[in-house]
Amino acid sequence: MLELLEPDQTVLARRKEIAAAMAAIVPDGTIADEATLTAYDGDALTAYRQAPLVCVLPRSADQVSAVLRYAARENIRVVPRGAGTSLSGGALPAADGILLGLSRMNRIIEIDYENRCVVVQPGVTNASVTRAVEKAGFYYAPDPSSQIACTIGGNVAENSGGIHCLKYGLTTQNLLGVELVLINGERVRLGGKHGGDSGLDLLSVVAGSEGLLGVVTEATLRILPRAPATRTLLIAFANVRDAGDTVAAIIAAGIIPAALEFMDRACIATVEAFCAPGYPEDAEAILIVEVDGMPTEAADEAQRIAEIAASLRATSVHECESAEERARVWSGRKAAFGAMGRLKPDLLCMDGTIPRRALADVLEAIEEMSRKYRLGCCNVFHAGDGNLHPLIVFDVMEPGELERAEEFGADILKLCVAKGGVLTGEHGVGVEKKALMGEMFSDADLRQQERLKCAFDGENLLNPGKVFPTLHACVERGYMRVHDGRMPFPNLPRM
Amino acid sequence: MSGAPEIVVARSEADVADAVRAAMETKTAFEIVSRGSKRAYGRPFAPDAILDVGALSGIVKYEPEELVVIAQAATSLTELEAALAERRQMLGFAPTDWSALFGGQPGAATLAGTVATNACGARRIKAGAVRDHVIGCRFVNGSAEAIKAGGSVIKNVTGFDIPKLMCGAFGTLGVLTELTFRVVPKPARTATLVLNCGTEAGLRALREAAQLPVDPTGLSYLPVRALAASPAARAAHIQNDSGTALIRVEGSKEALDEKLRILRKTFDAFETKTLDDAATQVLFREIGDGGIFVGRPTDIWRLSVAPTEAYAAAELAEAELWYADWAGGLLWLGVDANEETARRLRGISARFSGHVTLMRASADLRSRLAVFELEPPARAALTASVKAAFDPQRLFNPGRMVEGL
Repeated sequence: MLELLEPDQTVLARRKEIAAAMAAIVPDGTIADEATLTAYDGDALTAYRQAPLVCVLPRSADQVSAVLRYAARENIRVVPRGAGTSLSGGALPAADGILLGLSRMNRIIEIDYENRCVVVQPGVTNASVTRAVEKAGFYYAPDPSSQIACTIGGNVAENSGGIHCLKYGLTTQNLLGVELVLINGERVRLGGKHGGDSGLDLLSVVAGSEGLLGVVTEATLRILPRAPATRTLLIAFANVRDAGDTVAAIIAAGIIPAALEFMDRACIATVEAFCAPGYPEDAEAILIVEVDGMPTEAADEAQRIAEIAASLRATSVHECESAEERARVWSGRKAAFGAMGRLKPDLLCMDGTIPRRALADVLEAIEEMSRKYRLGCCNVFHAGDGNLHPLIVFDVMEPGELERAEEFGADILKLCVAKGGVLTGEHGVGVEKKALMGEMFSDADLRQQERLKCAFDGENLLNPGKVFPTLHACVERGYMRVHDGRMPFPNLPRM
Repeated sequence: MSGAPEIVVARSEADVADAVRAAMETKTAFEIVSRGSKRAYGRPFAPDAILDVGALSGIVKYEPEELVVIAQAATSLTELEAALAERRQMLGFAPTDWSALFGGQPGAATLAGTVATNACGARRIKAGAVRDHVIGCRFVNGSAEAIKAGGSVIKNVTGFDIPKLMCGAFGTLGVLTELTFRVVPKPARTATLVLNCGTEAGLRALREAAQLPVDPTGLSYLPVRALAASPAARAAHIQNDSGTALIRVEGSKEALDEKLRILRKTFDAFETKTLDDAATQVLFREIGDGGIFVGRPTDIWRLSVAPTEAYAAAELAEAELWYADWAGGLLWLGVDANEETARRLRGISARFSGHVTLMRASADLRSRLAVFELEPPARAALTASVKAAFDPQRLFNPGRMVEGL
């Protein structure tokens, strides 16, 4: 079990006063009664629950700014929250903190086809961006599985990906600008419709900052014209290694598929029982490969992929013949997480990324770990970019299962790093993986990252207890505070 | 200090760390230089010493099937591009070589310099800037610590994305020692549809092309004077007396035919011409490299606005020689720098919520007028705090971006 931050008793004792201050700022959106607060006690990392001290749901950037200014002045912790779909505990509340929910800031402010962008408030859901522009033939590329619920603010915080990242990038590649409210309540604009900035590219660290640097109150997103042709292949293999080799061979052939997804036998069987997408049942592994572009381009790439797969011992290669069939094939992939829920009540979804060449080795090792920890594990993941999602199924009510599941997950992530990969490809570190940061980074590396955090939030008030293994005071990490934009050694001659 | 600054040569990351450790004691401010092709870009400042990292060169690991290459920071851009081309791959952001633009020999650009100045070309409209391709780095910070950030896989959200922050930071945050890039397959071929048209219609055509599903990888506009000044346009016989919009597309022969068919149909009101792969490559390299300004004495500003504002911005800029890239999102302006033009161009950028940089001018002008725009107070305070998080003693290129920082 992870240890959550020890709440500050003096702050807990001030609940009434803090709730009143929030109600003064957001009269119609402050929640302070314990029964209602339990609705906000966590996110999609379901094993961890903790109600916030008070929850506030602003409707405007001004209100966000006022809440943060109050928090900074009173030294109160703040956890920003979108839809609460984080798989890493990114939105897990602090018991002594304000939960800042952005879900009511859900307006699409502007659709600008000529500049190929939309401007949205942070509480707009990912899927509704595409929905707003699809009539004109456009879409928003990042498409995390939770896209019908998750919000753009959360997507920016987590730098969310999805199944189309290899070709179309993560959130950071599709984010042109933000308005960010800092902990002192000041609002800064980073980037914009023009893209880029003169001066430091601070937007690039805001994307994926897991709510530690500021609160996004507006985002400008790149939208793209939909490709005229899409082809989807369902390819089956008699063993995992052949599937892994096929993934590597497709990339090596110079093809960047729009999507390249992998499912192992355990996953195929569970999904088939759940929603019958028509996957080959005797397969040890399947790949769903999607290519898009001009009609000839997509046809040519689909043809080449089919040949590569056949030459690497695919047992069947099937191309979807209709939009309905394509939707059915994808429905299985998208339902995978839900389907696993039938096996056991609880699910731990890991998220390491590895070099593609290590796919087969890592999958074999995971199978062995599954036996060792006596817990089921299915693999369904973004093979094109090596982003694994082993799903460990367990029952938190069975003594010892949560601990075994967490150890199993940690072993998988350590293996990913040992193979040249990383702890998290798209779900974020959150609370879930913070203890493992040392596997990837030295103490000096982490200190540098913490000092960057300090530059934005010197008192560690924003989303504390996330990402870093230990919560340090900024001064402990060697951060020297800057006053009024002046450097610590202003009198050194520097022309 | 008097006379020429001392030169400290570092041949390894450990050397860099040693040099910085010594500098911390003596409060020595470094100018960080690899091959120095872009030293005249940025605010002039007076370093105590030059930290020469040019020896940190060479490809460390290239794995074509992983679409990843790791190289020492001062590796020559030309060398890396040649190695990638052998495996039919490339850096997706279309790196530019500004060596000649700043009066040097072409081909002197290094990876670190490319990253530090965010030197990306026409492909930015499709593939993003340099920062979208740097997935990991090693650097020495102002506390002499060797730091690793990011990783060597494309999909990674573990920790803050510091490698991206290094892009366009002009070496003010750390001394880069190693860079990890994602790479992309080289397109089978490219082609350009050339539309003869005036400025307003040309810029509108670029925005229209951006909305078509032909996935353009270059959307530039060359007015008459730029055409006349462009050796590549001359070689491709695309000079005219109206100006030209250029729409580049990529793909297999069949895909290119399909894309060009759609474009010709959309733009059937224009007089058009198609450039082949070779001419396209030469022309767009020149556009990214600012080639038409090479050997011309004019000062250069780069103004970035939303594409829909490009025409109004270009009109107000009153540049003799200029052109547009990124569908109008970037204007290269040949405008001599002085207090009046600085005020005018910064006024345009403010009016259209864009930004403008004085890219090339004498040291005196760059010092007097500043190179980058003044940031609003809240943003400036943040910039100072971020600088302090990496380089608290201001040892690295102090004042190169902002006076006093």
